[in-house]
Amino acid sequence: MDDAANSGISEPLDLVKLSLGERVFIKLRGDRTVTGVLHAYDAHMNVVLSQVEETIHIVDVTEDGNPLPPRIEKRNLEMLFVRGDGVILISPTQQ
Amino acid sequence: MASIESYVDHLVQVILYDGRIIVGKLKGYDPRTNLILADSVEREYSTDQGVEMIPLGLYMIKGDNVALVAELDEEKDSTIDYTEVKAEPLGEIHH
Amino acid sequence: MNIKIQDSTHSTRYIDIYITQRTFDASQLFIMLIFSFFKTLTDQVITVELKNDLSITGTLKSVDQFLNIRLDGISVEDPERHPHMLAVKNCFIRGSVVRYVRMAARSVDTTLLEDATRREAKEAKK
Repeated sequence: MDDAANSGISEPLDLVKLSLGERVFIKLRGDRTVTGVLHAYDAHMNVVLSQVEETIHIVDVTEDGNPLPPRIEKRNLEMLFVRGDGVILISPTQQ
Repeated sequence: MASIESYVDHLVQVILYDGRIIVGKLKGYDPRTNLILADSVEREYSTDQGVEMIPLGLYMIKGDNVALVAELDEEKDSTIDYTEVKAEPLGEIHH
Repeated sequence: MNIKIQDSTHSTRYIDIYITQRTFDASQLFIMLIFSFFKTLTDQVITVELKNDLSITGTLKSVDQFLNIRLDGISVEDPERHPHMLAVKNCFIRGSVVRYVRMAARSVDTTLLEDATRREAKEAKK
């Protein structure tokens, strides 16, 4: 494949490649999302991010099993590796 | 392999995918993390009583179920009064 | 498969992990990047967060192609909730149970890591 073809988008991971060095939004299994600056990814969608904000959406249940209103927990992390098997989607963050 | 070679013939604590904890002497392993444990004992944690020790004997644990293998400090382990240790059992690993 | 990481300077390490013998396919090559990345973190203190919410901090001693991790001198983040690891000196964590690995920002040369990623992505497409 020549260089011109390589530079364009021809497969899904190319979109991820264009986001290198940019802030991305990632939805993960377990009702988690993270945003951070993307520094590395691979074919498994393992990623390395910096300046990360993680959000966990938690629904607690009362003793009799009724769900309480959902609450959100946030965490900031300076450098994070996220294992690809938990990744649902990666998106360039809307500015 | 980030090897467990140095654990052979040592007391190890294995955490399984379902959250169970099994302690025994590591007699062998392979690249799939299949393990052979001698004189193994399950340590069942609960919040309302101390840790229950359930003798299991010689076990071969299939690698797919293994989440973590840890080397126990036998001296330190023997100083802990497990009848007084109360904790939630570890959670399952879900995907 | 012999991967030699030159230990000369930190800056050349991501890039020098190039594979001399092309006996396996490109997609395989593209997964070596993260493995190499972890190798550069050897002897650094990292925190591994497992999918059962257990967080273990320790010194990274080794990593393999499955991203299995060997940690020394470990401590758990919340010993009250997780006394299960009280007598543990070091541990081997199955790569498949890892949710996150947290590390110090200064452990990572982000520019070189991005370059290495672009390069591996390009190689993988050939």
